[in-house]
Amino acid sequence: MDEKNHRPAVSFWASAREVFGFFFFLGRRTGKTRVFFLLGMIPAAMGVLVRILVAGRAEDYAAVFNEILMLVYVTFYIVILPLFYGTSIVAEELEGRTLPYLTSRPLSKPGIFLGKYAAYTSLMFLMVTASLALSYFIMNGHRLGDPELYLTFLRYVGVLGLGLLAYTALFAFLGTFLRRAILIGLMFGFGWENVIQYFPGSTQRFSLVHYLKSLLPRQAASGGKFALLLFRLEPSPPAAAVVSLALIAAVFVALACWIFRTKEYLFEE
Amino acid sequence: MTAVIAAKSLSKWYGNVLGLNDVSLEIEAGITGLLGPNGAGKSTFMKLITGQMRPNIGEVTIGGRSVWNNFPLFSSIGFCPEQDAFYEDVTGWEFLTGMIRFHGFPPEEAAERASRALATVELLGDKDRRIRSYSRGMRQRIKFAQAIAHDPGIIILDEPFNGLDPLGKRKLIRLVKDFRSQGRTILVSSHVLPEIEAVTSKIIMIHHGKILAEGDIHKIRDLIETYPHMISVRSNAPRALAAAFVGDASILKMSFGPDGRSLVVETHARDAFFGRLQSVVVEGGFEVEEITSPDDNLQAVFDYLVGG
Repeated sequence: MDEKNHRPAVSFWASAREVFGFFFFLGRRTGKTRVFFLLGMIPAAMGVLVRILVAGRAEDYAAVFNEILMLVYVTFYIVILPLFYGTSIVAEELEGRTLPYLTSRPLSKPGIFLGKYAAYTSLMFLMVTASLALSYFIMNGHRLGDPELYLTFLRYVGVLGLGLLAYTALFAFLGTFLRRAILIGLMFGFGWENVIQYFPGSTQRFSLVHYLKSLLPRQAASGGKFALLLFRLEPSPPAAAVVSLALIAAVFVALACWIFRTKEYLFEE
Repeated sequence: MTAVIAAKSLSKWYGNVLGLNDVSLEIEAGITGLLGPNGAGKSTFMKLITGQMRPNIGEVTIGGRSVWNNFPLFSSIGFCPEQDAFYEDVTGWEFLTGMIRFHGFPPEEAAERASRALATVELLGDKDRRIRSYSRGMRQRIKFAQAIAHDPGIIILDEPFNGLDPLGKRKLIRLVKDFRSQGRTILVSSHVLPEIEAVTSKIIMIHHGKILAEGDIHKIRDLIETYPHMISVRSNAPRALAAAFVGDASILKMSFGPDGRSLVVETHARDAFFGRLQSVVVEGGFEVEEITSPDDNLQAVFDYLVGG
């Protein structure tokens, strides 16, 4: 072999960085991103409608956001986005037959996976944050001078960001070894996650949404007209919820990287 | 010469379907053609040597190092896959620079290499168009460009001529030959015989997952004893020439070519026939315009080997 042409391999982190750059850029261009960005505008549109149609007190608008719109994000938007982006990390390479462009390069396979995961999670995070900012400030437009408003906003962003990390990791993991990961993901995200909340005892800790709701501001968890939609049991302590979500994300990403490294992917003929 | 790519007892199957069956071969520097009909196992072999698939049995090595999951090895390999598949929403430029960056090149060098590769495949003028809008020929060319842009020592081209018009094919053939002169190892697969014949005489014939023959096409032909050699002699007096050969023990059959000026001879003893031809031509004062071997080509050898 001609040694002059032999360059050193790209390290794990450099692989992840290069793959991140390519897919973050590519992800912004796809039709899927445009559709989901528009979908993210629905809560904002709902906020505008509420402000126009419902003549209420300022506190009512804030309550509507906390107890309805936030639920749309937690139980729908940050589930549907990772479902489509997470499961597509491997599936789109197989269906589009583009995998050889990545796996015939001197890139670490776990680095490829991590790079795509990070690219898509970042893209989703931007979409969610843009949508959240719009709907949040529309509904709380009456108290823009209140510093507490911005702290709460950051808290919401953090909760949704953690949710994206965990859901994307889980769905991406499923996508590394299941052909129809999206169906299993749908059943988990919109079946199990919803049903398990109403089970007695500590079984609800077997859902991601439990930890996310545990992190929502106290105001959303108590006293409101819609409180029964949030919790049947006491939430987990915030620190435990953050650690649980971070751990779930890390474990599923690590498992997915390992599977992606060892599994042989064949195109359907 | 030492082998650059080596396969040892390589077998691969997909469920119950055998893709490759006990293949052992060595590929040296220069151009090697991998020839076989669709479904023969060419792409399976290509995917095994580029680490896309793991063999069920055996091993494939490049420069003595096992390929599967050995990603550092891929810095010296350029792979042009068979499928017409791309990240459609990026431009040719974005695609190529992205692929080059995956080899660890800094942005400036990636841009420089992308420019060079695009110029080589004559796509520089279309670099800012999205790949989605490229014609089939342009897509083939950008696929080739991503395989050569990082200056690899080994280039693996899986059906690279698919979808190219005759002019495009000629240009690509010239490019592939240019790369050989730079001392690289190039493996080209095709199911179209003249395409392989145009780039190399060093071939590997594959059929039903097994290697039928490998080596120089003309030498392979010589080894096929079952079929007589066909020799066509075009002269000013083909009938008189035929008369001179009547009764010659080295000749199995004689006929006249469609142009009416060629004598077509079938023989097992090619050297004896040429010796006799020389004396007949001199003694009879014949004018010989051309001597060709109609079956000393890939098509004939392939047909003979697969029993076609």
